[in-house]
Amino acid sequence: MTCMPWNETLAAALLAWIPLLVAPAQETKIPLVHKTKYIMGTVYEIAAYNESPQHASQAIDKAFAEIARLDEVMSNYKPESDLSRLNRNGHFHAERLPADLYRAIEESLRYSKVSGGKFDITVAPLVDLWKAALRGERSLTATEVEKLRACIGYEKIELIPPDRVEFHSTCMRIDLGSIGKGYAVDRAVEILRANGIKSALIDAGQSTIYGIGAPPGKSAWEVHLRDPSNRADPVVMLSENSVSTSEQTAASLLGNETAGHIIDPETGRPLETKYALSVVAKTGTASDALSTTLLLVGPEKGKAIVKEIADAAAIWISAAGETETVTTGPEIRLMGKTAVEATKIEGKAQSVVPASPRENR
Amino acid sequence: MRMRRGIGFIALLGAFAAPASVGKVYVRWTQQSVPAPKTLGVNDLVIPWNEEANSLLEVAKKQGYRVYFETTLEQALAAAESGAKEGAAGIILKSSASATAQLEEKERSLRSVYPRLKILVLADGGKQPKMRGWMVFKKNGILQVSSPTSQPWLDSNLAMLRYEREFQSGQTPLYTFSWDLSDGLMKEQGPSPADYALAIAEAGAFRADLILELHERQEKGLASGDQETLSDWEQVKRTIEFCERENHGAEEARVGVLTNNYELSYEALNLMARHNIPYRVLQPGEVKARDLKGFDVVIAFVALGKELTEDIRGFAEQGGVAVLVNLPGAYPWVSSAPTKTSAHSTTYSVGKGRVIELGEAVTDPETFAQDVRRLMVREQIPVSLWNSLTTLVTAYAGEKAGETIVELVNYDEETTQVQVRVKGTYGSARYESPERGCCERLKVSQENGFTEFVVPDVMIGGRVHLEPAMSQPKEETKPKH
Repeated sequence: MTCMPWNETLAAALLAWIPLLVAPAQETKIPLVHKTKYIMGTVYEIAAYNESPQHASQAIDKAFAEIARLDEVMSNYKPESDLSRLNRNGHFHAERLPADLYRAIEESLRYSKVSGGKFDITVAPLVDLWKAALRGERSLTATEVEKLRACIGYEKIELIPPDRVEFHSTCMRIDLGSIGKGYAVDRAVEILRANGIKSALIDAGQSTIYGIGAPPGKSAWEVHLRDPSNRADPVVMLSENSVSTSEQTAASLLGNETAGHIIDPETGRPLETKYALSVVAKTGTASDALSTTLLLVGPEKGKAIVKEIADAAAIWISAAGETETVTTGPEIRLMGKTAVEATKIEGKAQSVVPASPRENR
Repeated sequence: MRMRRGIGFIALLGAFAAPASVGKVYVRWTQQSVPAPKTLGVNDLVIPWNEEANSLLEVAKKQGYRVYFETTLEQALAAAESGAKEGAAGIILKSSASATAQLEEKERSLRSVYPRLKILVLADGGKQPKMRGWMVFKKNGILQVSSPTSQPWLDSNLAMLRYEREFQSGQTPLYTFSWDLSDGLMKEQGPSPADYALAIAEAGAFRADLILELHERQEKGLASGDQETLSDWEQVKRTIEFCERENHGAEEARVGVLTNNYELSYEALNLMARHNIPYRVLQPGEVKARDLKGFDVVIAFVALGKELTEDIRGFAEQGGVAVLVNLPGAYPWVSSAPTKTSAHSTTYSVGKGRVIELGEAVTDPETFAQDVRRLMVREQIPVSLWNSLTTLVTAYAGEKAGETIVELVNYDEETTQVQVRVKGTYGSARYESPERGCCERLKVSQENGFTEFVVPDVMIGGRVHLEPAMSQPKEETKPKH
């Protein structure tokens, strides 16, 4: 056996330390069924209220099965997946794809255009290089970075309707980590609805959360958003919509050299931003793609993007409590004691890299 | 505050009588009808001490069980008196973190008055092992908290057990937990066989003993001989049989953690365990300079006295990395300029090594654990996993010289493939599991002083026997199942 790829199993439960108060569920008599499943390198959770817990459980299992099926299609980690096949064979050769994969790539390209190329599903090779360098496994030279740039660029992906894709680069490969979970959440929502579930919350590893209907006796699902300041406490109420959150990997506490998982493809360096970003949209696909996009472009450009989208909202929030918000419908309320006055900060020209959980360490 | 001192020595007095095995499962029983030990797959029953305990003891004894009374400190004397009279095998003392002194006193007095009773202390803080989500259930709904993509959150008992092992050195750590029944289906049907198997596999892999709580449905089903329950229980029995074993060697640790304050250090210890960092808890009052040799990193959560400061300095001078967590002081290394200053920490070069002073408590243990992992000497890491984010691993010295035992616990419901790298050059790797018995030979390869292999399918628990290149087994044993 040759040396194994160095994407070790070290990335762990982010925020596992947060002290969350757990109280017995529901005063309502409608049973709640809650299940978790590890798919796509993270934990999916579905909680559903239904008169029949057995029925809810079966519906949830079907939704999980659908997500697992999508993982077989979209994983860039599994060599036999359709995406891996595309990454192997799609260079100057149109490859026929399953409808889900074609649609996810099509959606990705839409957000690449919206963000002026800052959101780019082709940037993974650069991330891999950066991470390997920071782990001390290899050196990183400007020449190498330049060479890899030839492999990157969403405009080198050609969609040939109805179901074929071709790369116009010899070394391009794509990674759907920044949109795939949102897409999977939407498919799970469809499955749950088709099985008669009218009240459920679907969570893809905390990064994308969708609310179907509302809990019994409530008008919506209460979701507290990521708050690096620990004092603003932004909250959104979800019902038939989704929220996604993006944030750069936390800096080392002990002075180690570390790379965040979000890299600026223009400089080849990890994104430097003080913000965590949450965005509300009508679908999981939209919120997932927008979250990475808006973190990259920053509040100024990000607000302009959100203003063009119906029923969307976003909040940028820093550790110091600086917040920037924009909405075309959904309300993001600040429930904390201190609502710091918003500060205008220029968005940097940065791009996102989908995080591969297996590569974090 | 959970701070224990001295109890290890007291327990050590009874160490010669302590079982040499670990991974023992005691079943807590409450029903008046008791199935045969062969049905349950255990020989030790734990009966909560109450007014019905004696009659239940009688029934269980007739079935051939060793029976223990589980009692609070307040009722321990009555339970011991009755247990001694009625033929109980021992007493298990429950205690809260705040009652350490009373626990020590009670344990001492019971040992002296009832020398034939085995007196065991139940560790505080056990939790149901599981891969969990982040939803928070509360009245009238669910509270959800968003964040960037999170990795699987594993609830494990490894950190608690490593702490207990240091402070209860005379007794194999013994713990229990209650099942989380907040889910409607779980409340109605009870844990699945896989849930029970995970709890048992975890105790075995982490070299601890477990008091297993049964859901009322399972207890009644087993007592009445319900076929479905008995059929389900077979998986549990296989895991029980797999996990109890002789404990031959200690776990190799590359990180030492100086702490006697469980609450203060727990979250950091928990996330370090989650990241498969091999660490050992050290009692600050008893540690000597020589005890620090062999570690790559020493982390201090307690105030350093003069002697310990010197030991830390000596450790760093020899090339080690010491991390002081929120412990400002006039240390000798502060007299020179720091070599690095960041938003959270200050680093000083000391001899061949360094001291890093973290200027705050560990508020982000996830990042802290990842930092510690990076500080370890890569070439010395005893065992690493790839592509198995739901698996915890521990490695122990085996029975024979040069042998290493790697224990794997998969917290996911799905079977997972695990890629493993172990320090050292081994000629053979044999894999055993509750499902497939012992043993299946794995293909190994050697690379830069490490041995690598792939375990194709870890369902819940699994064990790999690594043997030096020169002593390969002559023939494979056949699977038991």
